[in-house]
Amino acid sequence: MQPRRQPPPAPRSGPGNPRPTAPLLALLLLLAPVVAPAGSRGADDPGQLQDAEVPRRLLQQAARAALHFFNFRAGSPSALRVLAEVQEGRAWINPKEGCKVDVVFSTERYKPEEGEGHLGKCSARVFFKNQKPRPAINVTCTRLIEKKKRQQEDYLLYKQMKQLKNPLETVSIPDNHGHIDPSLRPIWDLAFLGSSYVMWEMTTQVSHYYLAQLTSVRQWKTNDDTIDFDYTVLLHELSTQEIIPCRIHLVWYPGKPLKVKYHCQELQTPEEASGTEEGSAVPTELSNF
Amino acid sequence: MRWTLFIGALIGSSICDREKFFGDQVFRINVRNGDEISKLSQLVNSNNLKLDVWKSLSTFNRPVDVLVPSVSLQAVKSFLRSQGLEYAVAIEDLQALLNNEDEEMQQNEGQERRSNNFNYGAYHSLKAIYHEMDNIAADFPDLARRVKIGHSFENRPMYVLKFSTGKGVRRPAIWLNAGIHSREWISQATAIWTARKIVSDYQRDPAITSILEKMDIFLLPVANPDGYVYTQTQNRLWRKTRSLNPGSSCIGADPNRNWNASFAGKGASDNPCSEVYHGPHANSEVEVKSVVDFIQKHGNFKCFIDLHSYSQLLMYPYGYSAKKAPDAKELDKVARRAAKALASVSGTEYQVGPTCATVYPASGSSIDWAYDNGIKFAFTFELRDTGTYGFLLPANQIIPTAEETWLGLTTIMEHVRDNLY
Repeated sequence: MQPRRQPPPAPRSGPGNPRPTAPLLALLLLLAPVVAPAGSRGADDPGQLQDAEVPRRLLQQAARAALHFFNFRAGSPSALRVLAEVQEGRAWINPKEGCKVDVVFSTERYKPEEGEGHLGKCSARVFFKNQKPRPAINVTCTRLIEKKKRQQEDYLLYKQMKQLKNPLETVSIPDNHGHIDPSLRPIWDLAFLGSSYVMWEMTTQVSHYYLAQLTSVRQWKTNDDTIDFDYTVLLHELSTQEIIPCRIHLVWYPGKPLKVKYHCQELQTPEEASGTEEGSAVPTELSNF
Repeated sequence: MRWTLFIGALIGSSICDREKFFGDQVFRINVRNGDEISKLSQLVNSNNLKLDVWKSLSTFNRPVDVLVPSVSLQAVKSFLRSQGLEYAVAIEDLQALLNNEDEEMQQNEGQERRSNNFNYGAYHSLKAIYHEMDNIAADFPDLARRVKIGHSFENRPMYVLKFSTGKGVRRPAIWLNAGIHSREWISQATAIWTARKIVSDYQRDPAITSILEKMDIFLLPVANPDGYVYTQTQNRLWRKTRSLNPGSSCIGADPNRNWNASFAGKGASDNPCSEVYHGPHANSEVEVKSVVDFIQKHGNFKCFIDLHSYSQLLMYPYGYSAKKAPDAKELDKVARRAAKALASVSGTEYQVGPTCATVYPASGSSIDWAYDNGIKFAFTFELRDTGTYGFLLPANQIIPTAEETWLGLTTIMEHVRDNLY
């Protein structure tokens, strides 16, 4: 579970002089047209993050938020990614608006296959708005898994879900000892996908979430061919250490955008979302990275 | 698995003169009558084929297992076919099988340190952990003793293992704290593994031996017994103690916000329902008070290490403020060395830094208290992983985690040994 990796260079942020980031600059130029002008460069340049805070933590949190968003938008339980390591990044703080982070990081498949050590690469711009959740995210990643393979695996998972006999009710996935039965893995992967949306939406500059456990699952019959199920997950928020139960309702069909509704015990109102909301139902992946 | 016996027998027998078995196969040959037996004997006895009979000819309709070296495969196959002897390939590559077995045995060895059934690669009940602590002390009476330092809110004993080679009171000492947050199961599991490691390696490994020559080690594997039992019986994700809060329906205080170091400062809550509730006052939690009293009474601790999960971090004071600890430079150096040693085992990367900046502000924490009370070498480990499984770390990662953490711990302890003050 712990692949060998080279230790990443420690990012240094001296005043006004970040590490040479030629690849990052190139990427920024590439991204420039799609980034909403926010006066982020030039005369308005807000304070670049100084050495007071350890930028590494912030970069990691930004990378994770970007991945939640990426995973949700990709809508594929077979192509879920997790953070491998942060490679470089910068941050700007505008006390009136929030905190913007550019980060480049490597990812690996959530479900590693035998003999695979493939690392994908992503770059993201994450904008944490002051006191508000749902950071604005622009993220692009190199392709980690062949499209055809992904489609096949998604379809396989879809079939497995359709074949589930009883609506399982109270479950613990993983169990208390961290074990996930292989037969329950599809449920978990789909839950992780749905939770990614929730975690992204709830993320703020100070609140960061992890999926701790799945505690109930219920699959509904559908008139169309979609997968429709309700589940309860426990999210772990790092800074408060709180465990937050969320009820999530998810509708999925391979290749189609994910539809998620949820209600977490913290929030007052149920939230609703669909993959088309961000204007990109189709996952965009740059392969010329 | 059934082949274990055969291989065991082989080691002592004729096959010893050959070292590797790449491509060698085991044929299972069915002999149905006396005629076939004699044909087979003919084959087996031919000198140039160098066959080795594993399971020998005894009765009819019992298959015979024969080891066929790769060079003889063709010849044997032709013979069997031409003679109409029925056979199947039972082992396709003996070397591959042997390699696999080796791996498995090493795994089991790691898991069953002694034949007393305690599987270090699994999570255990409080009772089982306490029992194993007792066993360790019984197995190594000259080195280890199980000591009761107090009790929990629900009146469970708080046991530490004291490792000491020396006579005399109050030798300089190291405190290893684990399981203060009950849901961080890898912490308790690593601690009990470490206990067994200490006694097993004493007088075999120079590092731990020299450490113990100079200092005592006190290990508290379950600093929050009530919480731990609760995670096993009611709520796997319980963190705090189980003390009652008058006027509130919420239970427990965060034992790592309850120490007398900027108590009730930043990064703690005064709400009993919060996971970081600091408690009504410093040391209100009897579990914390027991440790504080013991350490203060002892008076000669030089090092305090607290094991938590998850995030893969190695941190030093302060958590309660962003101010730099006077010894930050040295602590940072030691921590980096320890993280490097840890990473050398499986490549697991830890980040290093002062608590406040590395994770978040946290007042009333154990290592801040230790540091402000003269225990210079104060560190927190946040063990595996970085969020994939989080608190629910699969049991098959216990031993790898414990093994790598051991190198981090000994690096720190060696530094303490060489820098006693």
